[in-house]
Formats: sequence, structure tokens, C-alpha cells
Amino acid sequence: MEGHQRNLYLYERFNARVLGVSVDDVTTLKYWAKSLDLTFPLLSNVSGFLGASFDVMPSPEIKGFPVFSRRTVIIDKTGIIRYVRDGSPSFKDILLFLKKLNQEGRSDPTTGGNP
Amino acid sequence: MGTSQRPTEVTPRGTVIYKGEFEFVPPPPEWKLFWPEGEGDGEFAFGYLKRDPGPFPSQSVFAYDEEPFGYSTNFEDRQKEFFKRFLWNAILHFQVLEKEKVQVIGGEGLAVTVEGKDPVKKEKAKAKVIFGKRGDRIVSFYMTQWRPIDGTYDPSAFEVFDRFIQSLKFLKKSFYETL
Repeated sequence: MEGHQRNLYLYERFNARVLGVSVDDVTTLKYWAKSLDLTFPLLSNVSGFLGASFDVMPSPEIKGFPVFSRRTVIIDKTGIIRYVRDGSPSFKDILLFLKKLNQEGRSDPTTGGNP
Repeated sequence: MGTSQRPTEVTPRGTVIYKGEFEFVPPPPEWKLFWPEGEGDGEFAFGYLKRDPGPFPSQSVFAYDEEPFGYSTNFEDRQKEFFKRFLWNAILHFQVLEKEKVQVIGGEGLAVTVEGKDPVKKEKAKAKVIFGKRGDRIVSFYMTQWRPIDGTYDPSAFEVFDRFIQSLKFLKKSFYETL
């Protein structure tokens, strides 16, 4: 998460926004965000339905609890999932993909240059 | 730590080039190069380690880190963020010994020297962290010297660290500068 915070200015450059999703409750996430000085939104999804919706595999480490493995998903402006990676995020990979997506948007005449 | 083929090449100038990107004067031979396996994000780039005379945990280690803890792009805020997490698993209580503006990698930087002690394990560490800028981003060099709680620090290792930093040149733009 700290890596995303470090790259916020680059996400801005590529017209992207980042959201964190976790099954932790709101209070836990508030403290966690404060401890890492995170300024982007964290979504609390205690029931874990978002993890299931995105087909994220339950963590093998804690059986019987709605804890999911880490997955990075990039969704384009039309709502289509364009990038999925399991495990720790590869920030360089993410940035290269967002740059490419942003360039695609700029070259699309139907968007008037707005990705 | 890396176990694959050594990622350095020696130049006729007596310097070493690491992965085609960093050129520097290598430390004396008792310092051993280490590097992370693979191309993972958020890890140190590479470093050197030396076992020191004396009982555990006597050793000195320094590294260059492209992604130091924290995110701020000004040195004062970044050093505060950094020291929230630096050596966090060692549970040392750090005290700032010295903080000064320095010139590093061709620009302004900030050097912070701290000492941390663990009275339970009877260990201590002195660390010097130098923050500099590569493009828009803050990078860091850090040196940590571990000793038993009643041990004596070796200042010559910190001099080796300083010479390494002074000699380091970037041979190409960083990934972030090419975006």
C-alpha cells in the first residue's frame, strides 16, 4: 500500500485512481491508513463479497475465514477489467500498463482526448 | 539475497558497474556484495556486508535503496516516515544523533545518524541514512553497524560507506524518469 502512496503522483499523471479493498473493518482500516499515512480510499468489505466477485482465491493460510489472497486489478473507464495480477503488486508493471492505457485513451477520437 | 550470476563487472578504471546502471568504486575485499533475487519492487537495489571482529551481532552492512520507506518527496517528512519502519522487526528504540544537509548524487540531500538499543537482547546498532534525489523521487543509502550492547563502533566502516556514495554514478535514467 505504501508503494501505491509513493506512486500517487504518477497515477494522477495517467488519469488513474487507486482504491484498496480489505475484509478488515472500518476502524482497523482507519488505524492502518493512519499508521502508513495513506491518503487514498480504503474500502472495508467485511463480508468479502468483492473478493468473491473478482474471483480472488481465499488465502490458503487461514481456512474458514473470509480472507483473500492479494490481487491487483486495473479497470478501464468503461468498466472492463484490463489487468489482473496475483500476489504482491508489481508497481513498475502497473505504471507501464497505466501509461499504455492512458495513451490508448488519448488516441481514441471518441473520447475527445479524455481517457 | 541473490545467488544467481554476479551482476557486477569491473572496469579498467578500477570501478565496478552493477547491472549496467550504477558505477562506483568498490569497497575493500572484506566487504561482500549482496543483492535481491529477481526484479521485485520495493526492495533495496544492492549492498555490501562485512563481518566484524567480536561476538554476535558484530557486522556492518550498507545498501542503496531505490524505494526507501515512506512516500514524501521532501527530505524532512520522508526521514520521519522512513524511521517509523526502518529495522522495525529488530524493535530498537532509535535516537537521532545527528541530522545535516549534505550534497549527494549531484544535489541536495539529508544525512541522519541514529543509534538504537535493545536492552533485552543486549544489542545495539548505529545507522547512517542519506536521502538524495534521483529525478522526482527520493532514494536512500543506509549503513547499519551492529554490536553487542557494550561493543565499540568502527568509524572506518562509515568512511567506506561515504566513499562508496561519493563515487556512485547513475549510468542511465531510472525507470521512473523514463515514464
